[in-house]
Amino acid sequence: MSNAAAGAIDHHFDPSTSTGIPNKKLLMWAFLASDCMFFGCLISTHLIYRLHPPPGVPAARQVFSIELTSFSTFILLMSSLMMALAVNAIQKGNLKSLRASLLTTIFFGCIFLGCQVYEFNNFVFEKHLTITNSILGTTFFTLTGTHGCHVAVGVFWLMLMYVRSFQPRDTTSDRRWFLRNVLHILAFIATILLAMRLTLALVRGIEATGANLGTVAHFASIYFAAILGLVVSGGLLRWFARPAGPVAFDEANAIDVEMMGLYWHFVDIVWIVIFTVVYLLEYL
Amino acid sequence: MADALAKTNFLGREEHAAAPKPFVIWRPTAKTGLISWLTTVDHKRIGFLYGISALFFFLVGGVEALLIRIQLAVPNNHVLTSTQYNEMFTMHATTMIFLAIMPLSAAFFNFIMPLQIGARDVAFPRLNAFSFWTFLAGAIIINLGWFLKSGAPDAGWFSYAPLSTRTYTPGHALDMWVMGIQLLGVASIAASLNFVITIINLRAPGMTMMRLPVFTWMTLVTAFLIILAFPAITIALVELMMDRLFGTNFFEVSNGGMPILWTHLFWVFGHPEVYILILPGMGIISEILPTFSRKALFGYPIVVFSGASIGFLGFGVWSHHMFTTGMGTMGTAAFAVTTMAIAVPTGVKIFNWIGTMWGGHLQMRTPMMFALGFIWLFMLGGFSGIMHSAAPADAQQHNSYFVVAHFHYVLIGGSLFALLAGIHYWFPLMFGRKVSEVWGKVSFWVIFVGFNVTFFPLHFVGLNGMPRRTFTYDSNMGWNQGNMVATIGAFILGIGVAIYFGVMIYTYFKGERVGRDPWDARTMEWSLPNPPPEYNFRTIPEVHARDSWWYEKHHKAEVAQEKAKHAAAESAHGGIHMPFQSIYPFIAGIGILIGAIGISIIDANPDPHVIIGRKLAVTLVGFFVLVVSVYLWALEGNEGYHLHPEDEEGHS
Amino acid sequence: MSSSAHAPAAGSHALEESKFQIYVQIAMLLAVITGIEIITVYLPFAVPILFTVLVVFSAVKFLFVIFFFMHLRWDRPFCTILFFIGLILAGGTMWALLQLFGAESSKPLSAALIETVRVVAAA
Repeated sequence: MSNAAAGAIDHHFDPSTSTGIPNKKLLMWAFLASDCMFFGCLISTHLIYRLHPPPGVPAARQVFSIELTSFSTFILLMSSLMMALAVNAIQKGNLKSLRASLLTTIFFGCIFLGCQVYEFNNFVFEKHLTITNSILGTTFFTLTGTHGCHVAVGVFWLMLMYVRSFQPRDTTSDRRWFLRNVLHILAFIATILLAMRLTLALVRGIEATGANLGTVAHFASIYFAAILGLVVSGGLLRWFARPAGPVAFDEANAIDVEMMGLYWHFVDIVWIVIFTVVYLLEYL
Repeated sequence: MADALAKTNFLGREEHAAAPKPFVIWRPTAKTGLISWLTTVDHKRIGFLYGISALFFFLVGGVEALLIRIQLAVPNNHVLTSTQYNEMFTMHATTMIFLAIMPLSAAFFNFIMPLQIGARDVAFPRLNAFSFWTFLAGAIIINLGWFLKSGAPDAGWFSYAPLSTRTYTPGHALDMWVMGIQLLGVASIAASLNFVITIINLRAPGMTMMRLPVFTWMTLVTAFLIILAFPAITIALVELMMDRLFGTNFFEVSNGGMPILWTHLFWVFGHPEVYILILPGMGIISEILPTFSRKALFGYPIVVFSGASIGFLGFGVWSHHMFTTGMGTMGTAAFAVTTMAIAVPTGVKIFNWIGTMWGGHLQMRTPMMFALGFIWLFMLGGFSGIMHSAAPADAQQHNSYFVVAHFHYVLIGGSLFALLAGIHYWFPLMFGRKVSEVWGKVSFWVIFVGFNVTFFPLHFVGLNGMPRRTFTYDSNMGWNQGNMVATIGAFILGIGVAIYFGVMIYTYFKGERVGRDPWDARTMEWSLPNPPPEYNFRTIPEVHARDSWWYEKHHKAEVAQEKAKHAAAESAHGGIHMPFQSIYPFIAGIGILIGAIGISIIDANPDPHVIIGRKLAVTLVGFFVLVVSVYLWALEGNEGYHLHPEDEEGHS
Repeated sequence: MSSSAHAPAAGSHALEESKFQIYVQIAMLLAVITGIEIITVYLPFAVPILFTVLVVFSAVKFLFVIFFFMHLRWDRPFCTILFFIGLILAGGTMWALLQLFGAESSKPLSAALIETVRVVAAA
């Protein structure tokens, strides 16, 4: 097999299998069929409890914010597009494009998660809908929370795949690469957590005292350490992403990216169902 | 032809000059000793591990059953307190279903199925090992309750809400039961995904789907059932656990919850589960009958189609466990009809098995005796099952010993007999020794008699009103005789099982050695030396017909030529490609064990001043170990190594 | 089903180039449909009609994602069959559960109370 020229591998066909479908692809599709039943039962639970709501359950449309949810739905759809482009890129051996698309997917995924955290906080503290004080709270938070966990697992996986794309081809002479690998991952996790924390705090600050310099200054003074941390971890990410020698990541790894892509798209289609069935239907 | 031997793009790129080194901290290579078992990825060894575990837990479940029968032998008995009795029937059922029958089936799926399709291993060998270690973790957690002061789980194997909520069952044993079943679900789903991919994608050239042995077909259908049914109980258990840990309202009536939802979700899983328990047995019988009737299986396509139909229809009958819960006329009637419908493909299979024997040259060896026992006893279980499908009759039968009799006929008379038959049948292949006919038959007859003496009277006792899950009964109910006979039968059954186990252990160490293919069988696994070498097939066979080994035996010249060609091709490609052993599946299993124990011991109302308590820390540590080991597993890569068996002596 | 030599279709290279275009166009379509869905809930039509419209739109989005982003359109049919088995089973189970819980005899007692209060208030 020659070096991976673009298009050298047929990504739809694996001649060593009986059907021609690569094993990993088939595995993920079978897993997604299983996950359909998983979310099906969870969505059923929510819908069953919406059939005859008991007295005392808050009216959902008073609690939900259709603007926020529409925004996060749009974000997730865009992340799905970026994921498809990432798979497309690596199938052609385009590493730079792959990394950019993965980063964008992660970015949009984090925005979605941030919106969910904001929404949950809003429901619990301002709308007084908690996971324990009503059946609506129980089913809503469990269903959307489980979906959110799936998104978080996806973001984690995407991040690991991104860092993996920097693994040097020659690891025998570059013995410290694993340490760099671990630091890269930790820096990424720190960046994501700090960025989300800071963004949410800033949003809450703006909500409380308006969008002006005073708010920003106040915010910067309270969260100075976190902002510094974000700059450092972001800088580390930039440092680890600088061009180095040849990497052990090319077209032959496309199947792994594709497998991850299937998972990410599935999380998106589950949200398509949840958006309609949990949110939109309440407004009818 | 070369395609099947061609290298996939997605495995190692050994020819590449500057091939990237996978990140390997330690590459275990031991082939014997403890490390070799902890790091094995060989499907035959993993099957053996499942089998040994299953047989151990089968004995545990048997002891639990005998204790139940001792308590019920006479009215107003005090051998067990009511709580202890509840623990016994909960653990007996949980152990037998999840820790005995399912893993024993898994043992056969693992060992036999790849050999039947001409593969060297399953599609994802390390995932296969992970499934076993996770199963073992689940088995451990479920049984931890025995060591707690609050006792073992005692809410029944189906743990109905609201009995299973924190209000009525506050102890941690139930949390451990919940987490144990969750781990078993993870293990089962992972293993089943593996089997589906293996059967669909790793068949030998010429092995079309309609040439697959019926046991492999049943493995495929069971695997589909598992991956589609277990998510329902995963969700039900998540909801129950959230109620217990966080005070959510899924089954909390005072805040709008409906406990009947638990019942529905449980049985959405529970009904396909019973087909998961019986279909592997049906597959085993479909291999044994043709071999010992010296005749091909009658109506192969119909048998396969019926198996698939049973699997599919099995998802539409769950509420027949709930006929007395007041679902309304439409709901009850709908499920009664679907339940009656599912009897049809089952009956079709029985007719085909009879058709297989009809006109055949029957050899009454021990596996055949167990197979015949299966057909008869499973049929009896089916009759009582059909009686249940009529909802009005079920109103009388529900929750009585009639149900107990029914499911023991299909589970012992059905599943267990088939699995015991399978052990006898495949023993020569796995261990190179044959069980003595005399002692095999003795164990069969004692088990057969003991089983029927135990459970036949229970039909009558049940119809006469004896309820299930009640630790004692009054002496004036008319149930005394039936119960006494059943208890005597249970001990006869126990003796039969003891003889069976004794015979197996003896045969393993000192049994009569046999050569290849002692039964003159029909399917591919018998073409191998016994026990099979690590790489299974010296050359991947080419399949020309159903019952491929039978074809090979009768077309020796043609096959010999093919094999020579394949051997040359495979040598040219670098030899036999084998997967590396790995420690990560085992470590991941330990991580998931610790994490699950952590979740099950967390208190419902933790001290709010403590952000991360000790118990939460245990959980986090466990899941951290899991994540890290999976990450290192991924980095390890799946390159594998090459073997050249022509350099080895003694194997051909 | 034996493995057979299967050369990649000629012209697949052109397909690869236009995949980028297809993905972006579909993403735009999905965004537009989402926007229409949001507007739909505020339209003054009967609930069953709006409900049907929403379900149809969601199904369209769903199918676009699985057949294009998840590549089912260009893959072997078996992948589609495999996924649809899970999907149909999940959908069927959901439908059956909703029928069961929607039946008259499954209404919780508290629901009857609310209805009585509502009827009395309307009178």
